[in-house]
Amino acid sequence: MVTNDQALQLIQDSLDGLHESGIIPDAVRVDDGTVLLGTGSALDSIGFVTFVTEVEDRLQRDTGKDHYLVLADIHEFNAGESYLSAGSLARYISHLLGDSERNG
Amino acid sequence: MADRPVLMVTGSTRGIGRGIASYFLEKGYYVAGCSRGASELESDAYTHATLDIADEDEVRVWVRGVRKKYGGIDLLVCNAGLAPAAVLMTMTPGDLLESIFRTNVNGTFFVCREVAKAMVAQRSGRIVTMSSMAAAIHEEGTAAYAASKAAIVELTKVLAKEVAPAGVTCNVIAPSMFPSEQFSALGEEVTKRALERLVVKRVLTIGEICNVIEFLAAPESRVITGQVIHMGLVS
Repeated sequence: MVTNDQALQLIQDSLDGLHESGIIPDAVRVDDGTVLLGTGSALDSIGFVTFVTEVEDRLQRDTGKDHYLVLADIHEFNAGESYLSAGSLARYISHLLGDSERNG
Repeated sequence: MADRPVLMVTGSTRGIGRGIASYFLEKGYYVAGCSRGASELESDAYTHATLDIADEDEVRVWVRGVRKKYGGIDLLVCNAGLAPAAVLMTMTPGDLLESIFRTNVNGTFFVCREVAKAMVAQRSGRIVTMSSMAAAIHEEGTAAYAASKAAIVELTKVLAKEVAPAGVTCNVIAPSMFPSEQFSALGEEVTKRALERLVVKRVLTIGEICNVIEFLAAPESRVITGQVIHMGLVS
């Protein structure tokens, strides 16, 4: 099980990694309300795709299992939001890993 | 990244796909192929996955596995497709239309999407999709097939624009005719009529098709994207 705070840290680590490798020009300080996709995001479309792949890779390394972030599922999980915040993604990741554990 | 370039090719058990896999194995590539059935290709540099490209989950697992095994993907050739026997549009049943679009459009879409994500992350890669002369000559009896192949052109062009900033190129090859089971399935009347519409009035060789793929994969072709290369036809 991964808590929301742990998932937020994973998001932070992913963004830091992309910044250090020069893919994101500016460092991003992550909190619950940080916009990842939508108006106000520090990521352009290419940056967001890279970020998602980075998060998936880290999840695989951390859990030893393949996990896939599916945007449609995230939207369903966070109905009513027109953007994706770090908090929303963290809750989705926590839920995703919880489901994975329950299903073995 | 691997010590050799890595090619992913769909529909690699038969016809053009098998020819592409064999050609690039000979050129020293690692080749990861897939199809609905098992492969008879035997090479240490070849891995095969049995899957349905129209199944998103299966495609995700396949692409992730190849990326993990080799550390990256240099070239994708989205070749798999259905080419049914010619049937007039007025006689085409809905389930046939759906099965053609499911494999040709959905399948190409899912494979391109997943591989493009990997290529964007690595900031390099080449994607080649397969359209057909059918999308250019509007032959009677090919409405569903030709429409699916036209859709492939459009999705490739849009993807080309989306991933260009990441150094990934996407192009389309539209072969005329290649002697395969699918080619035969179109029926003698259709293939004879189509052959008459060609400028180069003969079937293609696998070497001619692979030559175009190699050209598009070459480092010097990094500025060529969103293009359709017609073979044997003036379009």
